[in-house]
Amino acid sequence: MVMIKYIAALAFIVLGPFIGAIVQGIDRKITARMQGRVGPPILQPIYDVKKLFAKEDATVNGVMDFYIILALFFAVFAGVIFFMGGNLLLAIFVLTLSTLFVIVAAYSARSPYSDLGAEREALQVMCYEPFMVLMPVAMFLVYGSFEVATTVDIAMPLIVYMPLIFISLIFILTIKLRKSPFDLSTSHHAHQELVKGMTTEMSGKTFAAFEIMEWYETVLFFGLIGMFFVSSAWWSWLVAIGAIIVCYLLEIIIDNNFARVKWQTTLKWSWAITLLLFVANIAILSFI
Amino acid sequence: MALYLIGFLIGFPVVAAALMWIARNAKARAWLAFICGTVIAIATLALAFLEVGNAGTFYVFQNEYADWTSFGVDMLLGLIVLVYAIKYKKPLALVLALVQLAGSIYFEFWIYQGISVLYSLYIDRLSLILAVIVGIIGPIIIIYAVGYMRDFDRHHRSEPGYKDRRHSFFALMFILLSAMFVVAFSNNLSWLFTGWEVTTICSFLLIAYTKTEEAIHNAFVQIVLNLIGGIAFIGGLILIGQDAGTISLNEIIELGTYGMLMLPIGLICLSGLIKAAQMPVHRWLLGAMVAPTPTSALLHSSTMVKAGVFLLIKLAPCLGNNAPGLMVIAIGSLTFFFCSAMAISESNGKRVLAYSTISNLGLIAACAGIGTPEAVWAAIFLMIFHACTKGLLFMCVGTAEHHIGSRNIEAMDNIFVKMPGLAKCMAIGMMCMFIAPFGMLVSKWATIVAIIDAGHIGALILIAFGSAMTFFFWAKWLGKVCAVAGREPNIERNRVNRSEKAALFTSVALMLVCCVLFPVISGGVVTPYLVDYYGWYSMEMATGNLVITSSMIVIIIAFFFIFFGKSNKRKTTIYLAGVGQSLNRRTYRGSFSQPVEATQRNWYLEGWFSAKRLNMPAIVLCTVLIVIAFGVTIWTGGVLPW
Repeated sequence: MVMIKYIAALAFIVLGPFIGAIVQGIDRKITARMQGRVGPPILQPIYDVKKLFAKEDATVNGVMDFYIILALFFAVFAGVIFFMGGNLLLAIFVLTLSTLFVIVAAYSARSPYSDLGAEREALQVMCYEPFMVLMPVAMFLVYGSFEVATTVDIAMPLIVYMPLIFISLIFILTIKLRKSPFDLSTSHHAHQELVKGMTTEMSGKTFAAFEIMEWYETVLFFGLIGMFFVSSAWWSWLVAIGAIIVCYLLEIIIDNNFARVKWQTTLKWSWAITLLLFVANIAILSFI
Repeated sequence: MALYLIGFLIGFPVVAAALMWIARNAKARAWLAFICGTVIAIATLALAFLEVGNAGTFYVFQNEYADWTSFGVDMLLGLIVLVYAIKYKKPLALVLALVQLAGSIYFEFWIYQGISVLYSLYIDRLSLILAVIVGIIGPIIIIYAVGYMRDFDRHHRSEPGYKDRRHSFFALMFILLSAMFVVAFSNNLSWLFTGWEVTTICSFLLIAYTKTEEAIHNAFVQIVLNLIGGIAFIGGLILIGQDAGTISLNEIIELGTYGMLMLPIGLICLSGLIKAAQMPVHRWLLGAMVAPTPTSALLHSSTMVKAGVFLLIKLAPCLGNNAPGLMVIAIGSLTFFFCSAMAISESNGKRVLAYSTISNLGLIAACAGIGTPEAVWAAIFLMIFHACTKGLLFMCVGTAEHHIGSRNIEAMDNIFVKMPGLAKCMAIGMMCMFIAPFGMLVSKWATIVAIIDAGHIGALILIAFGSAMTFFFWAKWLGKVCAVAGREPNIERNRVNRSEKAALFTSVALMLVCCVLFPVISGGVVTPYLVDYYGWYSMEMATGNLVITSSMIVIIIAFFFIFFGKSNKRKTTIYLAGVGQSLNRRTYRGSFSQPVEATQRNWYLEGWFSAKRLNMPAIVLCTVLIVIAFGVTIWTGGVLPW
């Protein structure tokens, strides 16, 4: 049993970026088809990053790459904690640490575009952080534990107890995946008034590290979705994988069908949904 | 031996204060401050070394002279307030001071005479923790003040009406330390009250230090609110003396755990909340900003407000699911929520720090109110880390202010280039306040766990949303401090006073050591304290998680030394949608070949989070809750039916 934990962690470290890259490739393909384009090959994200590694080393200051290395390191660290079945709250705090380093990296450039992107990213953290704290709390109220590993020991999957909280997870993930309508800080599409927001000043290997970090993060978010569906039954894993696919397709559809909203709307909606669905879910739980 | 050390720690700072008062030569005072501070720190460490292994000792110590001294000091303090209130024509302060004097006299002659307190002094691991906070961080701040006040004097000397009163400034700082030791070690509540009031009056005098109109006004705001707290305290003492015939802290706590004495305990909690600047009276701590920065550093980190939360933590076993307990939880978590929100809209660095202090004290209060061992564990660690960090941050802002001429966050643009050492201290201090794996956040995590176990979902929601806002206001300030661009002259080298530098680096080292040694402090001091005090303690925060966070800090520090600023990549200019001209000023060539400057301000979201918008509802809400809590306590005796 202990071995499985280490294998899961190792699989995340080694396979995580590839899965993330391919998912991103498929995302771009589907998005292109939705827009009536052919789209790049599925492996395009990997080609992009490979090319970034070959670029000349240039930077706007001597510290940005330091922050990005830390951000990447802690994103992986968070994933390792999660996939080893460790403490969910700790994994989320470590992920926030990683995001903080990205914000600081963007600020460190002291460029108007990346400053504004960093500011918006900090605001986005403020939007989703209450949910990221309350979700483990709800899990604790159901299972009496913060350990992710608990989910595979129990016959009933979390989704049965926390359906409303799962809905707010989908909402929050749109922000975390930096998808429209919540791609305030930096966007995957070329329609931003902010150029590339936070990542404006990142180039070469530093930018490659940022991309790889996003791949890892995507896989970690898939883990969060899957966590709601796995149980002690073996077939629950298939359900989880199906759920992940459906949710991500939903994210792509949302991404392509909504125009970006202002920060006020983001804040209002994310807080309202977090609060209302959490309270409603907890109220239902306490009655049954 | 330990008893002598306790006596020394209480007595020596008074001697030091007298020396400060006598020495009118800045150089001599600097040396004396340094020596006395070091002696206090060494004595504290010696006491910690001796007593850390002991569960706790109560000392048989009855001394009539000490009793009369305590009473005399109470009277003297009342008179000081009276004199000031008459001099500056503040009728409210005058009335309150008279009421408190009357209360003290009534207590002394009609209540205290009939009570004998066998164990007047005690030491246990909690009082030891407070003593170490006071005895280590206090002297660091005093040493910092030596350099700071030299610059302060130079900056203000030309102002009309300025008088060099630095001797009294340092004397008051030492007296504050002595009073804090009294609070830490007194089991006799009458003595504790004296220490409590000394901290109030010292803070009052320190806030009024510059004697400007604003300073006097804010000092009176502080004294009026804290006199109300003092009156609540003495009222609680009178009630306890009448009902229980004892004023030993340990006996009162024991009676409290059986649900007795709820009204007086509620009054003392109210006094603690006021001292810890909780809503609705948080205004006084914001007003205290007018004083020279070392005052703020001292008040926020190791003295004054810490006395308030210390007493709340001490009383935690009596709190929980009763009216005073719920009051403390509600006020604490609401304060955390609202003050975190208001900090977002502040661009004045010192005010952001003040809001952050108030909100963190709210968190500590909420934990104390819950009263379970897990919650107290979290409260103690919040207290430790808040003390280490807040002192450091205030000192950083103070030094920055003297060298860049402003305490505004926007003015700290590019401070990383101008004052790299200071900026690094500031950045690490800020990170310690709000992000894992550093101490405050790990303690906050423990708070969340403790609150779930106690089932206070409302408080939990307030804390989840409050934490998110904490992230936002710290992250944007941290970002500002970390910006690196251009080559501006270093204004730090040879300009920042040696004493300030020494204090800053010692604080950073102390803070990091505390963060890394978190599991050791938990296992060696805090957990044993809880086991002794409660008889049980189930470790909710698994040691494994603490070890993970500690090692993360080590990793960050290692990364810092390996990679930070070592990049040998080619440097280019930032993207400005035009040909860049100057990196320092962020100018580019505009469409008419004229230089255009790109300016960028942080977001303060005033429309949403300004104090103007949030203050009133928060104050009303908290006041109503306090009134309800006391109504329920008087009506039902405070013990709730469920």
